[in-house]
Amino acid sequence: MAYEGIIEENTKQREIQFRNFAAAAGFSEEIVIEAMKTRFAKPWPELTASQKRGRLLSEQFLACYNKTSEGEMKYQRVAWRSLFMPTEILYAMDLMPFTGEMAAAQLAMSGLSVARLETAEGSGFSPDLCSFIKTCAGATLEDIFPSPDIIFTTSHLCDPAAKFATYVSRKYGRPEFVLDIPYGVWGCGSQDIEMKKIDEAVDYVAGQIENMVEFITAHTGVKLEEARLREVIDWTNQARKWFKLGNDVTYDKGSIATVKRGSKDLDYAANLMQTWGTREIIDVYETRYHEFMACENRMKSSSKPRIVWGHLRPYYKNDILDYIEEKADIVASQVNFIFWDELDPNDPFRSIARKTILNPAYCPLQYRIDLYTREIQRGDGIIAFYPKSCRHFHSGARMEAEALKKAGIPMLTIDGDCIDNRGDDFLVLKTRIDRFLKSLSAVHPIERGETFKPTSPPSGSEPGDDEQNRVMYSPVR
Amino acid sequence: MDRPKIGWFCTYTPLEIIDAAGLTPYGIREDSGKAHEDVYLGDSVCSYVHSCLGGALSGAYDFLDGVVIAHSCECMRRLYDAWMFKQEEIKPKRVFFLDVPRVKSEPAMHFFAKQIERFKEEMEACYGEISRTSLINAINTSNRTRELIARLNETRKKDYPPITGTEVAQLIKKGMAAPGDRFNQELEELLAGLNGRSGDMDRPRVLVYAGPAYGRLIESVEEAGGIVVCEHMCNGLRQFGKTVERDDDPILELSRRYLEKPPCPRMIGEHSMEGLFDLKRLVDEFKVDGIIYCSVKFCSNMQAGWPLFKEELQAGVPIKFLEGDMEAGINEREVQSFIKKLARRR
Repeated sequence: MAYEGIIEENTKQREIQFRNFAAAAGFSEEIVIEAMKTRFAKPWPELTASQKRGRLLSEQFLACYNKTSEGEMKYQRVAWRSLFMPTEILYAMDLMPFTGEMAAAQLAMSGLSVARLETAEGSGFSPDLCSFIKTCAGATLEDIFPSPDIIFTTSHLCDPAAKFATYVSRKYGRPEFVLDIPYGVWGCGSQDIEMKKIDEAVDYVAGQIENMVEFITAHTGVKLEEARLREVIDWTNQARKWFKLGNDVTYDKGSIATVKRGSKDLDYAANLMQTWGTREIIDVYETRYHEFMACENRMKSSSKPRIVWGHLRPYYKNDILDYIEEKADIVASQVNFIFWDELDPNDPFRSIARKTILNPAYCPLQYRIDLYTREIQRGDGIIAFYPKSCRHFHSGARMEAEALKKAGIPMLTIDGDCIDNRGDDFLVLKTRIDRFLKSLSAVHPIERGETFKPTSPPSGSEPGDDEQNRVMYSPVR
Repeated sequence: MDRPKIGWFCTYTPLEIIDAAGLTPYGIREDSGKAHEDVYLGDSVCSYVHSCLGGALSGAYDFLDGVVIAHSCECMRRLYDAWMFKQEEIKPKRVFFLDVPRVKSEPAMHFFAKQIERFKEEMEACYGEISRTSLINAINTSNRTRELIARLNETRKKDYPPITGTEVAQLIKKGMAAPGDRFNQELEELLAGLNGRSGDMDRPRVLVYAGPAYGRLIESVEEAGGIVVCEHMCNGLRQFGKTVERDDDPILELSRRYLEKPPCPRMIGEHSMEGLFDLKRLVDEFKVDGIIYCSVKFCSNMQAGWPLFKEELQAGVPIKFLEGDMEAGINEREVQSFIKKLARRR
């Protein structure tokens, strides 16, 4: 189909899809639009960092249905992306990312995910599959998500997401582009081999990004302007700087969680976010940093155990986080970890490739364990909320816990689900949390600020590499 | 004297490198029966991987010198992790890791060629230099196997196939553990015996789309009155489809062959759709009456691939979805009722 035909089809379809979305939430289209206008009434500068982030994401969500925050119609090119797909090229080419997994989390927060899960399961999506993807599948089958102009997926971390992208492509009849990401670039060989592997992988992925740009141009007619890409990359770099500064405050300078709830910070899920490359996100992260700094003066000394959170949180209504935070402070999280160096505006494809490849969640388990042991402060414990439907994280939990235990880092794995609350059993969980936090209190504060040394250097690295690696790979900051 | 054996798990492993290094590739396909020994990988990993790790921990693969673990999917990534984690308790000490792209494209072929080259270097570090001649010879041996299997499959396209799916499965299982030239000799003898022969089996003809060897699935189909004429499985077309081209750059040609062969559900994007469309051709050529899509439980790629498979494959024949555990097996009643249904349609 010619691109003009796609625009025409999407324009009609998104009107229907928006009505469907409103109906699924139990409202009329008009009520939803009015609610949005009310929500957007407060001036941006008066918002908290979290509210700004929410506003930005809501505006992006509405834009995917061709709606502006004023309720006007405006056609928007939409690119469905899987969670680990970099966004800078998309923004530079005027494509609005629509991240299915993020929309699924939103549905779970609104109590709308279970019906979508049931739709998907009734249509052949196995109950064992990732519930983020199943929710997206249900929403696609019910036609409540905005139809895409183009679809992007990466091959890393999540197998079902990559398979689902092809399903979406066929369902809507839209072109799909796959970014194939090499695995095992680190942690599977000596340092020389590791460096060689990283170079090979960067070359391979950078070449694909170049092809991706051509693919977008071929399918939408949009050409990449170098100046625009530089601007987007600069925005990513600025946002990265502020977010990282904020992380340093929460983790290093003490327990911000005594003033601000650490669980709220999990919602930034910064390294998964679709907002890298927007101008607004700089302000969001800068505001977050200033909020943390303002808290510094009000911080009480906390004797609660400190928790580093692994993976995401449950998005449906639940008592788990409230309960944990009564007894412990969540001071850092895996999803807020800024693992990449600044992007180089003079070498954009290679630096985006590097950022994408070096995601520390996508490496052999031992490497992840080494990162934890190297960075986590003595006395801190890890709570990992691993969905049972996630082969990538859940299946490594036992080994991770055993290895960390040997290193003196307590870890509690919660076999949960971020989206699907049908098997939720808080009372059973509560007992395990109590036991864990009690054991943590017993080992708690020894010497604040002291980090563990790795039990063994990461495969391939030499003693003395720590400092260099820490800059790039710090797992918690 | 028997050559040392290197175990492999995934059909994207270039066996020619192992053969050229003077070793025998050993395909770990059978159910080790020791899946319960693996208590490390949690209960959301597929039973094939549990079986492999449980087997390794309980000594089922002690006769191997090492293994090569290809990065096929989420579960295989964790097999590598667990193998390394429990390495002190596992006898085969040498562990080779091979990354494999998930798309078929020119850049992917070149990237994979580099991974194969590295795998070759790692093998050389352990077992001595692999000469160009030995690599070419290994490619020729593997190609010969593929040609012979293709000839065998041709006989199964006949109205009355001279060989059952169960017999083919047994043959391939034996071949997985044997040196290539010995397996080729056996195949040649078998083909000579089949020459001109015709079966007498007017039965519903079934194509099985599945992962690695799946317990009694093929026997169940045939005991229920059907005949399996084609296996789009890890020990069927995905292993033997497509030969390696002879070229100046054998490593690149190996890479090309492995990424262009009939795709495993692990492949994504356009290539996975090509595989799906190619099934229509197979249905016609093998005169298939019905397809069994058998997913190992917790195989994300098979499970997530099913909705697309059932919606997009317009093959004009019934498709049965089965799901099960490698050790616990499949529900044979479901197989029986499907075969009865196919028989009624004939």
